[in-house]
Amino acid sequence: MAANYWESTQRRFWQFSKDELAHMRDELEKSDQALVQMFPLPRRTHLNIYFNQQIGRLGKRLNIKQQAVATAQLYIKRFYCKVEIRRTNPYLVLTTALYLACKMEECPQHIRMFVTEARSLWPDLLHADVSRVGECEFFLISEMNSQLIVHQPYRTLTSLQSDFFLTQDEINLALSVINDHYMTDLPLLYAPHTIALTAILLSLIPRPNNSTNIAVVTAALTQAQQNRPGTGTGTGQNTPGASEKDKQQDTRMNKIQRFAVFLAESTVDIEGMIDCTQELISFYECHEQYNDKIMREQVNRFVKARGLDKH
Amino acid sequence: MSLTNPSSGAASGPASASARNQTLKRSVQAAFEDPIDRGGNVGYQSKVRVVDKYKVIGFISSGTYGRVYKAVSRQGQPGEFAIKKFKPDKEGEQVQYSGISQSAVREMALCSELSHENVIRLIEIILEDKCIFMVFEYAEHDLLQIIHHHTQQPRHSIPPSTVKSIMFQLLNGCQYLHSNWVLHRDLKPANIMVTSSGQVKIGDLGLARLFYKPLHSLWSGDKVVVTIWYRAPELLLGSRHYTPAIDMWAVGCIFAELLSLRPIFKGEEAKMDKKTVPFQRNQMQKIVDIMGMPTKERWPYLSSMPEYNNLSMLQPPMLHPGHHHHHHHHSKSAASTSHLEKWYYSTIGAHSSTSSPSSNGSLAALGAEGYKLLSGLLEYDPERRLTAAQALQHPFFQATPSGGGIGVTTGCFEGLKVAYPQRRVSQDDNDIRTASLPGTKRSGLPDDSVVRPVKRIKEA
Repeated sequence: MAANYWESTQRRFWQFSKDELAHMRDELEKSDQALVQMFPLPRRTHLNIYFNQQIGRLGKRLNIKQQAVATAQLYIKRFYCKVEIRRTNPYLVLTTALYLACKMEECPQHIRMFVTEARSLWPDLLHADVSRVGECEFFLISEMNSQLIVHQPYRTLTSLQSDFFLTQDEINLALSVINDHYMTDLPLLYAPHTIALTAILLSLIPRPNNSTNIAVVTAALTQAQQNRPGTGTGTGQNTPGASEKDKQQDTRMNKIQRFAVFLAESTVDIEGMIDCTQELISFYECHEQYNDKIMREQVNRFVKARGLDKH
Repeated sequence: MSLTNPSSGAASGPASASARNQTLKRSVQAAFEDPIDRGGNVGYQSKVRVVDKYKVIGFISSGTYGRVYKAVSRQGQPGEFAIKKFKPDKEGEQVQYSGISQSAVREMALCSELSHENVIRLIEIILEDKCIFMVFEYAEHDLLQIIHHHTQQPRHSIPPSTVKSIMFQLLNGCQYLHSNWVLHRDLKPANIMVTSSGQVKIGDLGLARLFYKPLHSLWSGDKVVVTIWYRAPELLLGSRHYTPAIDMWAVGCIFAELLSLRPIFKGEEAKMDKKTVPFQRNQMQKIVDIMGMPTKERWPYLSSMPEYNNLSMLQPPMLHPGHHHHHHHHSKSAASTSHLEKWYYSTIGAHSSTSSPSSNGSLAALGAEGYKLLSGLLEYDPERRLTAAQALQHPFFQATPSGGGIGVTTGCFEGLKVAYPQRRVSQDDNDIRTASLPGTKRSGLPDDSVVRPVKRIKEA
């Protein structure tokens, strides 16, 4: 339920294993093979980056809070688990998801605003009639089985930031990791608190996309896992590399240690955190190869060719 | 109009009535049928059709949101169902998708998420032909109907064990909602359902919302919440940041109504003046008449309420005719004296808190703890008002002598010899696409209950 992630529809119906997710997507593509072959699309991560940018632009124009944008991104992800992307006009889906998310996150705006702003961003890709968004809303809600209440990692971050003495810089870094994770499959794979804790951990090390630093993270996580009661004989007091002279470095290590102790005492899914870390790293790597122009062309091609912009 | 009075059809004779019934049955069914052709191969189409899955057997009620129908499954699902059909924005002419109202979005999302024995259970939602159909479990009764039944001659009070069970289950449902960060914001007898086995189900979450760390103040979202008679004083005084305590005030009002069979604070609603929300002077006066004037001692934040200054417009309670208009300092304590205790004991038919609880059949059996619970719920200061969790722990619900010796039964009809009449459903639903009904209408209730105020929600 709304306060309880464990009983939420998110955990019961919208959290998958990697295999399940791959299978669902395979099935979707199989059912539309001709379409898939006719309109090749770049890898999913790059699609996600593109959508993220586009929805971010729309959100900015309408002055929409990040929390609602994030909810919309999750809606889009869920929707495209059920519906083949080439059957839809992604610009319409994006606009509608944001319109719906704003109502759910209690910051609604008039449907007309969304259409007007979306049309000024993507002039020849969207119908001017608001009823198209209204219709797409039915489609979205129906595919999501009206399960619209979303649990986000932001809440965990807010409630834990003082426990870990996070600085504003660290909080901001964790926030940006959380924002970024909406471009990966992680929201469909892991509980929001697992993601939030991963983001906090990544915020505690400098330049998290540096591979040596990742080793530090993984080491901290593995150690925390071993230090759990009943697993291994660790004492929890070991410090990975305790010889730092730099004072700032020192506090940072202390924070990582405190964090590791917290994890060891908790029942948090540490393996999941390790996987989240790795997924995020490969996401950042993949991001470097992103080409906006190619992306835009490929999406617009099927939208135009199939006349999806006309209705 | 026959819409609220099915019996008027019978006056035209049995034969014609049955013929007429046939046509009307079809028109009820027609309400679910396809208003427009399904031409075109693009666009949204429902995978399920309401008429394929459910057979509509009657019309229950209508409101600003749309209409509620009674139905049974065509596919062998046992039991009966209530289908709430949200009316599209424009009725009559060609219906267009215009975006779902925020209140419908909230209700769909919350009902899909909630699961508790004292909250009405959602079966499924079908989005079809630009309409939203929410299918709920059917409840045979609601508190408005039960209260109404007891006002029928001879007027007789609701048995104390029933009152107690209803209150316990109602609080239990509230506690579940509040612990899940859900504010109901429209608790009133008409929205409290009771199944034929006596299970209480909180219904109509059309005004409910989550209140966990809102991005904006709750007030800025919906300027007016809760039906006027059940609206908490902090809302009447314009509070921007309200809490679950507003639901608890409404629960207190419902408790009082179960005892006296009429709304305890039956004020008249001041109409919205253009876009400004008026001070509900008459409603506040009704509260003051029984509860006394609120004071800073009883409610420390009172003076910071936006409408605080309007309190001076009110008359102190029980003002004698010819009394001086500006009451003097020494009369201030008299003005703030609560008359709730007097109200309670005269209502339950006991003369004072010392009178011993008599037979279980009389409300007097609810005793002093009943008063304490009521006054805890009708506490002016929202911070001191009982929470649902606290109220559930109240001695009133223990089967001790002070609690009237009555334990809480799981079904509120347990031990009753007579059954309440079934909900009357009407076959008299003319074409839904042309009908435009203002306010709330219910099938099978006399006009007097129809004029009850409807909740109003003004979305920003």
